[in-house]
Amino acid sequence: MAKKLMGVVKLQLGAGKATPAPPVGPALGQYGINIMAFVKEYNEKTAAQAGSIVPAEVTVYSDRSFTVRILTPPAADLLRKASGAAKGASNPKKDTVGSINREQLREIAQMKMQDLNAIDIEGAEQIIAGTARSMGIQIVD
Amino acid sequence: MSNWLELSVSADIEAAEAVTELLARYAPNGSVVLEPPWQANESEPGETSTSQPYLTDSTRPVLLRIYLAEHPAVAQTCREIEQALWHLGRLRPVGPLQVRTVSEEDWANAWKEHYQVQHITERLVLVPSWLDYTAQPHELTIALDPGMAFGTGLHPTTRLCLRLLEQQLQPGMRVLDLGTGSGILAIAAAKMGAVEVWAIDNDPVAVRVASENVAHNQCSEPVRVLEGSIEAASGHFDLILANIIANVLMSLADGLTQALAPNGTLISSGIIDERETEVALALATTGLHLHARQRDADWVALVHRHQRPGS
Repeated sequence: MAKKLMGVVKLQLGAGKATPAPPVGPALGQYGINIMAFVKEYNEKTAAQAGSIVPAEVTVYSDRSFTVRILTPPAADLLRKASGAAKGASNPKKDTVGSINREQLREIAQMKMQDLNAIDIEGAEQIIAGTARSMGIQIVD
Repeated sequence: MSNWLELSVSADIEAAEAVTELLARYAPNGSVVLEPPWQANESEPGETSTSQPYLTDSTRPVLLRIYLAEHPAVAQTCREIEQALWHLGRLRPVGPLQVRTVSEEDWANAWKEHYQVQHITERLVLVPSWLDYTAQPHELTIALDPGMAFGTGLHPTTRLCLRLLEQQLQPGMRVLDLGTGSGILAIAAAKMGAVEVWAIDNDPVAVRVASENVAHNQCSEPVRVLEGSIEAASGHFDLILANIIANVLMSLADGLTQALAPNGTLISSGIIDERETEVALALATTGLHLHARQRDADWVALVHRHQRPGS
């Protein structure tokens, strides 16, 4: 009998530093999976990327088994690094914290393409550009 | 048990990353992203056969969530977040900040509801300590409450170890279980006839949980639970179980080999498949010979033998 999918949770955590404390505990505990089992798996799969925020997609099945897929870094992180901004703008409508060019936008879109709900690279660029605008990062030609 | 504030915000897919980035400034321990699944059959929310690919519905809002420990300044933090969200909301649709208090009790024990009797092999059965189970004459049961320690029997690394343990253990053996977690492997070894089992973990929570499980299974006679690492073990062991992780296995390779008796067996597990070669190489350089390997999902367990000259 095929297993049923109960839910998919994405967690953004420090590589190799997951603990049973929030957000891991409450996000996964509600699905009935053993939290320490996830912690061990996430930390092992991300050990080589220590120092970065590494998202993971946890797929939970009806028998409470789960799979962990490590995703590409968050677009916000990539935008911050590419623009040199320490963080997003408090008031992105008024303030600009940095800028990236079209080439950098495409690079980030290509890197994120596999994890985005985009049909093509232009669609992915559009999503990344939207994120950049919301962070006060300008796209310059 | 401590209380936490759960802060949730919904946003469209383009604003999701920016909102997460904003929230993460206040929650360095991480954040949660819940994307709405696309469901062909809306009458069965939350359940989709694995034969269908999982897709997200980009037309519906994404829910972003962080957790803040309750402390006197947390109300001010919430106000700051609300203000920042208001600014973001002028660019893209962002929902209101929703706050609720959650208790550690809400999640720490939630998984127990779904933790059932597990038949690991034909003989070996794991029984949650709060459930009743009548064993068949040929069955060997382990009563377990893993609490917040690793080792429920649900994870492939533990299952691999249990299967290999059953194959490799001979009654009368002296066994070391390094990184014992819930004590599951040590208890299994004792029940299969090990004459002496050392269960060691460097996590005090695991030591407490393992001690409780050992006592519950009436295995306190052969099993001694200790806090520490390989240095805490003394003498040589006929069988060593090390269900840890690749980095730790490699760093302990020398110590594990030295702790093996002549012709002793090492079962190493917790190895993600992409790191198998590194671990196998580290163990081979200490003089161990690969005897067997098993794989379950992304995880590998290795069985090495110690063949000392003249043994």
